[in-house]
Amino acid sequence: MLSTKERLNADVTFRTKALVSAKPMLSKRRIDTLLAIAVTAIVAVTALFLLFPVVVTVLMAFDGRDYIGPFPPTELSTQWFGRLFEDAYIWEGFKTSLLLAIATTAAAAGIGALAALAISWMSPRLRDVVTTMFLSPLVLPGVIIGFGLLMFFAAFHQLPAFLKLFAGHLIITLPFTIRMTLVGLAGISQTLREAALSLGANERQVFFTITLPLTKNGIAAGAIFAFATSMDDVTISLFLSDFQTYTLPLALTTLIKSNFDLTIAAAAVAMISLTLVLLIVLDRVLGLERAMGHGANRIR
Amino acid sequence: MRAARSKLLLLLPAAAVFVLFLVFPILIVLNESFHTFEPGRIGSVEGGPLTLANYAELFQPVYGQYFAQTYVLAICSSAVSIVFALPIAYCIARTEFAWMQKAAISAIVGLMFLSSLVRVYALELTFGSAGVLAPLMSIIDIDTNSRMYINFVILAGLLQYSIPMSILILIGAIKNLNPRLTEAAMSLGASALAAHLTVTIPLSMRGIVSAFLVSMTLGVSAFVIPLILGRGRILFISNLIYSRFSEVANYPSGAAISIVMMVLALLLILVMSRLATTLERA
Repeated sequence: MLSTKERLNADVTFRTKALVSAKPMLSKRRIDTLLAIAVTAIVAVTALFLLFPVVVTVLMAFDGRDYIGPFPPTELSTQWFGRLFEDAYIWEGFKTSLLLAIATTAAAAGIGALAALAISWMSPRLRDVVTTMFLSPLVLPGVIIGFGLLMFFAAFHQLPAFLKLFAGHLIITLPFTIRMTLVGLAGISQTLREAALSLGANERQVFFTITLPLTKNGIAAGAIFAFATSMDDVTISLFLSDFQTYTLPLALTTLIKSNFDLTIAAAAVAMISLTLVLLIVLDRVLGLERAMGHGANRIR
Repeated sequence: MRAARSKLLLLLPAAAVFVLFLVFPILIVLNESFHTFEPGRIGSVEGGPLTLANYAELFQPVYGQYFAQTYVLAICSSAVSIVFALPIAYCIARTEFAWMQKAAISAIVGLMFLSSLVRVYALELTFGSAGVLAPLMSIIDIDTNSRMYINFVILAGLLQYSIPMSILILIGAIKNLNPRLTEAAMSLGASALAAHLTVTIPLSMRGIVSAFLVSMTLGVSAFVIPLILGRGRILFISNLIYSRFSEVANYPSGAAISIVMMVLALLLILVMSRLATTLERA
């Protein structure tokens, strides 16, 4: 990283030395050295700041002590994982979360893919308006969506909490599936379609043999975003759950506030592993850079 | 004609979800915000007279405090994350090793994908009053229960997400820059610092504005971070709305705060995207 900069500096010094006297260059070089040092410091401090808490959590999850002692742990054990697996409260939340995330992902991927197809056939101006509208749940504060849904569902008595959660998660995951499918669709060259049509294929055949297979990865990437968002949501779920039907993040939130111990660190390690798996799949289906270029502002 | 109509049918499920679970609920919130609250009742009185009292109430200084709290911390986190993200994004965008760039981007994406709850717990475990650094904090005489310290921990919570995201946005902006421009400035005698201040930063202004906007949007609507790291002593607007529902069941007041918060959030986006377009043209 720095070598480029240093080489550039050296290069500049070399080139300008012939033209200007060396004296003012010294102070300029000092400024550049200071800049290089400052940049290195910023990179180091940021990396430490971003990674240290995660490293602490992972190591503390294997702590052999019975209490939260100073870091690093003096002895290692898997006792917290044992407690995690015996914790019925967390398990119940995990089961609900997994079921909810699967249902939400399937529905959001299907509905989102259909909507993205329709949007891709629109005129550019209309396309922008409709896309902005469907992506708006991403920028609206989650509390407002949660609060609104809560009052909306109050009109229907005795609706199961699972269905309410499903509706809430659907509205916040749909933007991802629509956007990622659009990314997938945008990557298809128009000439492929035209070639197939000119070779005698009908619209239907073009769709099933060209459009759909080439969009598959975009849809899959959207599904991964949807799954991750659903597994992660606290804000909206908090309004829509009840004491029987709650998600894993809600269970963990309650535990962090009431019973702060290292069982949660063990749960965090499990969630980090899940994140890694999702990332590897995302990298395979669409490539991380391409996916993040379009899905980067995951607001919550 | 028939084909066009059947194509639009594909939009129907998404439009239904959108209207039913987003537009309707927001309209209900809007309606609720104009009704009077009766203590002891959940929700407002049906068919009662409409009132602006719930909005008028928000002009009391107590509420100003919540809004100030939220916006000050959100602005701080956005500004700090730009300052830290810009040099890092530059290094990543301009590195000559492809593997290094890939590794750095993967790590950053990984941090962003990490569950927000994991991030919040990790911060509480590290910096919290019962956390692993608490003994160290007491040695250097920092009170982990002071308001100031809690503010710092919440700021750290916001930065954990806004720094990686700003880096990603800025990498895109810097990659679009022609590296020769900076080189030209330097070969004409500018120091690296001067070259970046006069060439790199102005030319990546659009990226900087959009990174700032996304960090702000995230910051002002933050919910879990202040809920847990604020320990009930520091509340954001989101938490205030939630407490209107969970503690006092004063729905009309919660609804009025929600509407104000939503309008402010949309205004922010409007102003910032205007700013980005103006800068683009300049």
